[in-house]
Amino acid sequence: MEPILNIENLTKVYGNTQSQTKALNGITFQVMPGEFLGIMGSSGSGKSTLLNCIATVIQPSGGRISIEGKSLAKLGGKELAAYRGKTVGYLFQNFELLDNLTARENILLPTTLHGVSSKESSQRLEQLADYLEITDVLDKFPTQMSGGQRQRVATARALILHPKLILADEPTGALDSRNAKNLMEKLSGLNQEKQATILMVTHDSNAASFCKRILFIQDGDIFHELRRGEESQQDFYQRILQVMAQMGGGSCNVL
Amino acid sequence: MFSDLILRNSKRSRKENGLFFSSLVISIVAFYLILSLSKQDVMIFLQKMESDAVNKLLLLVPVFYVLTLGILFFLIYFACKYQLQRRRHEFGVYLMMGMEKAKLFSMLLAEDMMSSFLALLIGLPVAVLLSEVISLVTAKTVGMGIIGHQFSLSGSALIFTIAGFLMIKLVAFSILSTKICFREIGSLLGDESEITKKQKPQFVYILSLLGGLFLLAAAYTMAIRGTAWQIPGMMFVTELSGFFGTLLLFYGMRILVQIFSKIRGGRLGVFNFRQLEENVIHQSTTMAVSSLLILAALCCFGAGVGIAGTNAQSDDHVLDYTFDSYDDIPSEKMLPTIQTILAEQELEEQFSALFPMRIGHIRTTEAYEDVFQMDPVMDAIAALPKSYAQDILLNNLSYTDKPYLLSQSDYNTLLELAGKPTLDLAQNEAGVYISADFTDAERTNILNQILSTRPEAELDGAQIFLTGDLQTTNLVTDRTITLSFALILPDEQFRYYTQDQYSVYINGVLSQDKIDQIGLMQAVSQVDDRLDTANLSSKGISYESYLQNMGRSLFYVVAGSYITIYLAIIFMVVANTILGVQFLMSQRKSGRRYQTLVRLGADYSVLRKSGRSQVQWFMGLPVAVAALSSLLGVKAIVGGALAGRIGGSQNAILLVSAAMILLLLVVEYIYITVVKRSSDRYLLTLMQPQREE
Repeated sequence: MEPILNIENLTKVYGNTQSQTKALNGITFQVMPGEFLGIMGSSGSGKSTLLNCIATVIQPSGGRISIEGKSLAKLGGKELAAYRGKTVGYLFQNFELLDNLTARENILLPTTLHGVSSKESSQRLEQLADYLEITDVLDKFPTQMSGGQRQRVATARALILHPKLILADEPTGALDSRNAKNLMEKLSGLNQEKQATILMVTHDSNAASFCKRILFIQDGDIFHELRRGEESQQDFYQRILQVMAQMGGGSCNVL
Repeated sequence: MFSDLILRNSKRSRKENGLFFSSLVISIVAFYLILSLSKQDVMIFLQKMESDAVNKLLLLVPVFYVLTLGILFFLIYFACKYQLQRRRHEFGVYLMMGMEKAKLFSMLLAEDMMSSFLALLIGLPVAVLLSEVISLVTAKTVGMGIIGHQFSLSGSALIFTIAGFLMIKLVAFSILSTKICFREIGSLLGDESEITKKQKPQFVYILSLLGGLFLLAAAYTMAIRGTAWQIPGMMFVTELSGFFGTLLLFYGMRILVQIFSKIRGGRLGVFNFRQLEENVIHQSTTMAVSSLLILAALCCFGAGVGIAGTNAQSDDHVLDYTFDSYDDIPSEKMLPTIQTILAEQELEEQFSALFPMRIGHIRTTEAYEDVFQMDPVMDAIAALPKSYAQDILLNNLSYTDKPYLLSQSDYNTLLELAGKPTLDLAQNEAGVYISADFTDAERTNILNQILSTRPEAELDGAQIFLTGDLQTTNLVTDRTITLSFALILPDEQFRYYTQDQYSVYINGVLSQDKIDQIGLMQAVSQVDDRLDTANLSSKGISYESYLQNMGRSLFYVVAGSYITIYLAIIFMVVANTILGVQFLMSQRKSGRRYQTLVRLGADYSVLRKSGRSQVQWFMGLPVAVAALSSLLGVKAIVGGALAGRIGGSQNAILLVSAAMILLLLVVEYIYITVVKRSSDRYLLTLMQPQREE
């Protein structure tokens, strides 16, 4: 099976020649269709940089990112806009809903941007709203919704154009634990039932325990990899905590 | 270090808010222009001729100065407020780092002063230059190049400009920065909570839209019909209903925005609509007030230029002097008397012509009614198809029972001097004279056609024939002396019908050599000085020079048009700056929204289009409403307030006004384009990905 996302030797250097910060130090990994991949690491580890490179929000300094065999570096102008809108769906930590648009208008925004017919998209909207339990807030403005509802509306917006890959940047970061659990269940459900491919950056071990595979990043390098086998979510969570403890409190980190 | 910070911050504010900075410069120019009014060539000239009226006008200058101060204070207060609000977070950080409030205050003040001084540095030279240009242009267009120009720099105007400008800036800034300094640090650092206004049911907006339209219609009906100008209380009612009508109209405007943006939405139709809706709802009062200001500007400018244009038109200058006797110098002795006086003053050389203009009444009968009849003429006019000109002619010519009489030789001398063909009358013929003020091209045309048939008339029982073209050349220098209808008779007939009892005006024309040498202004002043030493009034003689006369009419033109055009520019600047700054600020506030759009796959062209269409709507709506109303507004001013004074030239004024409004709309277009460009520039900066913390 061909990987959806192929990352080879990705580097990103910030700053000028005198004071350089290597945010990514030659990272290589692949994401297969239907995978739910988590990326964990402490702040400053480079995980957000990685995600932003994939989302084409920032340009990598070296290496190669390709989606379905097509290199992102070769995209420009309209193709790039189409990639951002259609190929990937982006889920932000602070939702990034337009607060002067209703939930319905927010969700349909990508469809109008990319010229999808309204009939087709309203059908899709109904399915998503139904699954994400936001049907009764569709005509409300973001300020009139709870945090959980907002993130589920944002999820619907990320999914409305059937993206090949969903990029989620700390999606539970601004949610309380109940809403966070609810959201993760929905995302995990989408992955299992609809074979949605999800790449999620988080430092919340609880949220990460919903993933099938986790990459741990430290100082711009892949430090460790965990795969969830047949074990329970609880056991997987314990293993994540162990790695986190090693990373955060391990001997290599004692200054 | 501290001064570095001040320099850098002040530079940044100017860069970020160029529109606001340029309006500061414009307000300085405005101050100087109104204050230096007394140094304008036209005003210096008028002061010599019509010192009373000019002094009264100049007394009004402080009033306009204070008015301008008031208007510009609000502009500056408003724009400063936005600028400071955007930097709240920065101020919070300064305070957190232990900057004293007094120090922050002084820093802000210093920054502000930097911008102010720079604005003065740019504004003052521009103002002086512009006032010179205006001085020259008005002198050239209205004075026809007769007034000598001298460069003038008004010291007091400079001082008051600087003082006034710094004062309003200081007051506005003190109020605002005091407010900032007394805020809690936390509230400065935190994100400003967006107050989401509650949506009202649709019918509220529809009702407000309809109510606004109704009130506006009522206001304009009252203004155009003239009721507003006649009854004192009604003016207030009219203005009130106009004001609230506009407020309501803009409050309900979102309905229209909704309809239009749904029709031709484009890719970001919904987004544009919501952005606009937000602006229209949150700022409908600003839009309404701006629209009213633009309307005021359009009306003032249109009416001002209109008045100036039509009054400057009808000027064919033949005579330089007219001497008149108000004592009992016998008519036939007038010419020798004047000649003697001029000889005494060694002024003979200055005049190339001196001739009498005799004006008399019919004295061969005691009757007052039906001494003169011209039924064939009246019948011919009545037989014409109905028109406005016909109506006026029928009315005016019904009062010609006992016309004034002019003598053919006097009038022919005048015609020769004017370079026009002279009249050739037989014993039983008469020419028809009507002053230019009482006729226009259309009416003259009608009368000429009728006169060419040589119609028959009856003068005190004798049969005469009316002939020649209609005569309209001014008889004396004083333009306020006009005749609505007079007959030009052969000299013999004139003396018979007037029984040698007539009044006489002695007209003089200055020698062309002298005028070519030193200019009309100087030539006339020299003669005036000499005549003043001759103490003419003790001899029972008064005189009127062309310049005095022109000064009088010029005064109304200059006073009327200068002030209205000045106000127009002020209103225009204030309205556009408020709208422009408002839009750009709210666009910056919603910068995050645009970034989200980029992430959702909107490319620059889509964003740019969206921004531009928002500018178009946000600024275009008030301008469009103002432009529509302005045509009615000029009509109301011209037809209601000035109806009596301008009389027949109403249509000409309306036409000129329409042209001027069009011109001003071009200015609006430029303003809108500038705002669009800034919007483009800002959106482009959002396209550059930034590191998110």
